[in-house]
Amino acid sequence: MSVGLTEALERDSALNLDQAAVGCNFQVTSLEGPACRQLREIGFCEEMRVRKIADGRTLLCAVCGTRLALSRTLAKQVRVTPA
Amino acid sequence: MSEFGEHTLLPKVALVGHPNVGKTTLFNALTGKNRKVGNYPGVTVERSSATLRTPHGHELELLDLPGAYSLSPNSPDETVTRDVLLGDLADEPAPDLVICVVDAASLERHLYFVLQVIDTGIPVVIALNQIDRAENKGLRINRQVLADELEVPVIACQAPAGRGIIQLKQTLRFPFPPPTPRHWKGPGAVEKAIEKLRKKLEEAGIERAQAHAIHLLADTDYRIEAQSHLTPEAQVAAREMASECIAKDHPPEDEITEARFLCIRRTISASVIEKGSEAESLSDKIDRYTLHPFWGWVIFGAVMFAVFWSIFRFAAIPMDLIEKGFGAMASGVSSLLPEGDLRDLISKGVIEGVGSVVIFLPQIVLLFLFIGLLEGSGYMARAAFLMDKVMSRAGLTGKSFLPLLSGFACAIPGVMAARTINSAKERLLTILILPWMSCSARLPVYFLLIPLLVAGSLAQTMVMFLMYALGTGTALLAAWILGKRIGRSEPTPQFLLELPPYRLPDFGYVLRHVLGRALSFLKKAGTVILGIVIILWALSSYPKAPEGEDQLAHSVMGRIGQAIEPVVEPLGWDGRMGGAMLTSFAAREVFNGSMAVTFAVDEDAEEDDDAVRDKIRERISTAKKEDGSPRYPPLTIFSLLIFYIYALQCLPTTIVVKNETRSWRWALGQLAGMSAFAYVAALAVYQGGKLMGF
Repeated sequence: MSVGLTEALERDSALNLDQAAVGCNFQVTSLEGPACRQLREIGFCEEMRVRKIADGRTLLCAVCGTRLALSRTLAKQVRVTPA
Repeated sequence: MSEFGEHTLLPKVALVGHPNVGKTTLFNALTGKNRKVGNYPGVTVERSSATLRTPHGHELELLDLPGAYSLSPNSPDETVTRDVLLGDLADEPAPDLVICVVDAASLERHLYFVLQVIDTGIPVVIALNQIDRAENKGLRINRQVLADELEVPVIACQAPAGRGIIQLKQTLRFPFPPPTPRHWKGPGAVEKAIEKLRKKLEEAGIERAQAHAIHLLADTDYRIEAQSHLTPEAQVAAREMASECIAKDHPPEDEITEARFLCIRRTISASVIEKGSEAESLSDKIDRYTLHPFWGWVIFGAVMFAVFWSIFRFAAIPMDLIEKGFGAMASGVSSLLPEGDLRDLISKGVIEGVGSVVIFLPQIVLLFLFIGLLEGSGYMARAAFLMDKVMSRAGLTGKSFLPLLSGFACAIPGVMAARTINSAKERLLTILILPWMSCSARLPVYFLLIPLLVAGSLAQTMVMFLMYALGTGTALLAAWILGKRIGRSEPTPQFLLELPPYRLPDFGYVLRHVLGRALSFLKKAGTVILGIVIILWALSSYPKAPEGEDQLAHSVMGRIGQAIEPVVEPLGWDGRMGGAMLTSFAAREVFNGSMAVTFAVDEDAEEDDDAVRDKIRERISTAKKEDGSPRYPPLTIFSLLIFYIYALQCLPTTIVVKNETRSWRWALGQLAGMSAFAYVAALAVYQGGKLMGF
């Protein structure tokens, strides 16, 4: 399989963090949006593993041994794939 | 220039790190109890420093900088940290060495900030804190490899247990190590831009040219927004360099970020031997309940109820002691001084006036104590998470919860706590509505007036609860309405918060903080309130009435009351209440004292406050108009209560709002707006009540 196709497949299987299922582990693939710098700096950086703990208007995630709460709007800016 | 930098008498070491990383606990472990608290020049962010002596016998100043996730700031606190490290804060030279406090259990998250600090060109030491938590999770870090990768000393610490403190102090040996070189490298275009900009900044006389060059290219806002310490030419040069990079398809902010993250991944890959288990920790298990959609709210309600019940229950004993103390002082003065104006001023004016305010010190102390313990334990972040849904309906986020909760004790620390809110719009909205959280200064007024409305402790408690609910509900509604007008072009504030692990609070730190707040309250009582009661006494005692004439009516206060009567009559008040209301604009606690004076209540030095309040109530409830009808029916009292819920009657709050918003427009606008709202609300209640036949 060519690298280009692999990347395309990864992109297609990526979803926004707000869409991700609770209780599952994911890996951050990219950040897109006005708050991506702030999200990166607090821990949602590319290749970071994230476990989604709770859903709702405000999401709760475990990132690198820390619990981070973020609004749905911010979660939409984090693209993840299942880890 | 000294070996350690300009201007410093003692070499300066700064502690930096993310919020909740244990910086303050480490600070206390390094320095003991000699902390000095002040303000950074020109800003209202608290400056916390102390001296420490190294094992080699050298004395240093240790500066505890505000917690920051990044040197590209999202809050006033983070801006101060950035400015201090870049040497941009007037009268606050950059430190000579920085200790980066890092959570060992979450190392990768912290390294971006560490790299930013290294890029400031100041020598760095890493304190790998909470090492016990990392070890318990099975996480193993090769500290030597980490130190080699970043070329900085790395010391493992567990601040609460004092572990690693001696070793950390030993790294603070003279001479300090040289600045750490950069370990990331951007593409050629970006590196050239950094070098070119550095030279231009040096030619322009900007100090720390390399650090500023990197930061100007890495942070778009820093480049675009006017910075008082950078010349316009420097920023123009930075924008030109950035545009050149963008034209070559290498936006400098993105490239520098990516280069730093590549360095982080390399460093982690080399230094982390075992990643540790992801098994549920104790904090995770507790969170299953405290963050549960149902039980979380039950626990939150129980905690809040327990806090407020404890405050009213446990404060009674010290309040009684304070009351007796002031009573004894007034008796003592009365027995020592001959009858006359001086005795009157000291015993009835100063001692009883100030005493009627100081009596609330135990409640304020207890509220701050509980807030400090809840915050220190990590529970407050969970409360903010739960409250986010409620706050969002008002256009705020859960981050506003703590400042608003503090407002129930006193608006001033609440306004200052708003500094941690990232969104400028949300910070402003929180500050603007905060005075409507019924603060403890309103309690004397509520305790005086509510028994005139209803009898029985249950009914009175419910009316008290209604007062709090009205103030809080209106505040949230106002936030929703104002949010649609203020900062319309700004994005809606978003909630982003770290939930720290549960831990035992640092009791020493909490108690010191509470003591600070208590002293601040007493200082206010001894200055502002003292000044007001003296003026009040003078206004009601002079000019002296001729024989046979009523002193109060003849006095300045009496005449002010007469002048204001047409304004307050539509609210159902008379001149005496209007005068008392006016006097409480500087500090609302003074209302009771004014009422005692204007109703000519002779305060026997041996009577307690309850007896004085009973006398005032008796005078109010038995006062009659010329036609024999009650002068102050329940509707008038209710109108007065409504006014006190909504009026901003605290000049110190207005001054703090001005300092925090840096705008007299917002501070005075808030004062005028809340005063007008209070008047209209009281008017609507009284006139509406009359129409309905009350």
